[in-house]
Amino acid sequence: MTEIADIPPPRTETPAPPDREAARLGFRLTLPAQLLVLFIAVFPICMQIYISLTDWSPLDGIPWWRAHELWIGLTNYSDLASDFRFWGALWRTLFVMLVCVPVQFFLGLGLAILFVDEFPGRRIFYSVLLVPMMVVPAVAGYMFFMLFQSGGPVNDILSAFAGRTVSIAWLSDPDLALAAVIIADIWQWTPLMFLILLAGLVSVPKDQQLAAVLLGAGWWRRFRTIILPRMKTIIIIALAIRVIENFKIFDTLYIMTGGGPGIATETISVYIYKVTQQELIWGYVAAIALAILISLSIVSAFAIARLRRGS
Amino acid sequence: MHRSLSFETFRYAAILTFLALSLIPTIWMMSMAFKPVAEWQAAGANLTWWPENPTLDNFRFIFGESGSDLIVALERTAGRPILASLLAATFGTLIAMVAGSAAAYGLSRFGSGGNLPLALIQLRIFPPMAVMIPVMIMWAFLGLIDTWWGLALIYGIVTMPFSFWLMKTFFDDMPREIEDAALVEGCSRWRVFTRITLPIMRPALASSGLFVFILNWSDYLIALLLTTRDWVTIPVYMASLSSSMTGQLYGAKAALGLIAAVPPVIMGIAIQKQLVRGLTFGALKE
Repeated sequence: MTEIADIPPPRTETPAPPDREAARLGFRLTLPAQLLVLFIAVFPICMQIYISLTDWSPLDGIPWWRAHELWIGLTNYSDLASDFRFWGALWRTLFVMLVCVPVQFFLGLGLAILFVDEFPGRRIFYSVLLVPMMVVPAVAGYMFFMLFQSGGPVNDILSAFAGRTVSIAWLSDPDLALAAVIIADIWQWTPLMFLILLAGLVSVPKDQQLAAVLLGAGWWRRFRTIILPRMKTIIIIALAIRVIENFKIFDTLYIMTGGGPGIATETISVYIYKVTQQELIWGYVAAIALAILISLSIVSAFAIARLRRGS
Repeated sequence: MHRSLSFETFRYAAILTFLALSLIPTIWMMSMAFKPVAEWQAAGANLTWWPENPTLDNFRFIFGESGSDLIVALERTAGRPILASLLAATFGTLIAMVAGSAAAYGLSRFGSGGNLPLALIQLRIFPPMAVMIPVMIMWAFLGLIDTWWGLALIYGIVTMPFSFWLMKTFFDDMPREIEDAALVEGCSRWRVFTRITLPIMRPALASSGLFVFILNWSDYLIALLLTTRDWVTIPVYMASLSSSMTGQLYGAKAALGLIAAVPPVIMGIAIQKQLVRGLTFGALKE
């Protein structure tokens, strides 16, 4: 039986009346986590703001705290506004997301509908279908790198259907490389949608559906009026998880194409990685990273506030 | 509910198609792992789905035994990266579980740390790439670059949101009566936590721990940025496995990929019941 907890950070039920021992223990128990958050969020973000206002690079030979010697004010940010590689990468990231997430959703939902009721083999099929999700993403990237070689199995299967030798150079064609990356992401993460949506479908009470059947409601009508309204929260959770994770897309993609050919499959994470490791202009990277952090904070705060109001 | 024969046919056809599509990539890598060098790049009419002369040479090769047809010898073998992955993922999981479940208990029972739920969600939303510059500088300053303990520390922080949220839902679900009874008996709250709550929560701790371990074991990006040579993890080592002489070492990489892929798949199947809870941050429980 599946149940939904209150989604956005639920307010904990008022704990037992505050006695001093409890308050002290509570403080001590949460302290390590608080310190780790402080260590990874507050300090780095201050450092990031500072560095983003300079032209500092680790190659300059001066330590980061003296980066103010290379002060350039907001130049990094104005550069960002006209950086076509950045905007291209952002657009590509959103494009990949807009293709992957809906496809994963509908495939996962379709599959979940097939699994709602019992049938022979259900358990084993279920387990096997979840496997792609558990494969290490970098390894999945390597699998698809092999599959999409011009002499590889994908072309072999296509040849079998076409009846002639197909030898498409998937990963060296700009458009096809992006398609290949999208296919790999869909392969890996459709199971996640399937898993979550199935958990939601199973939780819809059977008696209501049965009643609807007795009243002569067709499948689509039952789905639309009984199942879908109850699935709303779960659907939002599933979509939100994939949107967040998909925005970070790196491992699979970087192993498959390295962002190439040229910059044809460069997403935000890949672009930042390349500027960090290859061009080493860290002041600029800090500015990009901050711009992304700020926009994401705004978007997520807005989304969480809406969700809270909704529930 | 009655289902027609045609629906059942459709169901099996659809599921089997999905099954085939989701298995092909994995099967191809498994088969590649057992192929001898000559079959690695066989293409077109020579392409084979199963190794014609199955061999363990690829596995021997990555562990430094030169029994294969490859002339190249590896500068570094796979043993050390496997150790690095194990150490970093295990200790990272430990950090995440200790800090995360302690905080989850503090919040669930005493209402402390009310800022944590949202802060940890934010931490999860941000792409790791966007905070890596300061992290690289800090890690360099602390001498943590290219060490397994440095990786373990960042893994612990990055996966703490999961351990926190998972354990919080488990603690919230646990009936209070048992703890209350012990308190009435005169146990201190700390003793109640360590002697009563934690032992009861052992299954929950185990499945959350495995879930967090899978996440840590799967990392590529962070290890790519924070390790350079001595303590590179399996995915980083794997990506570097190609030489100008031989080009891609397909079979060797596939063998290594297989080694990397097996533990999380087994663990994932073992905690299948808790996967929904884990992946949805505890929002959905089965």
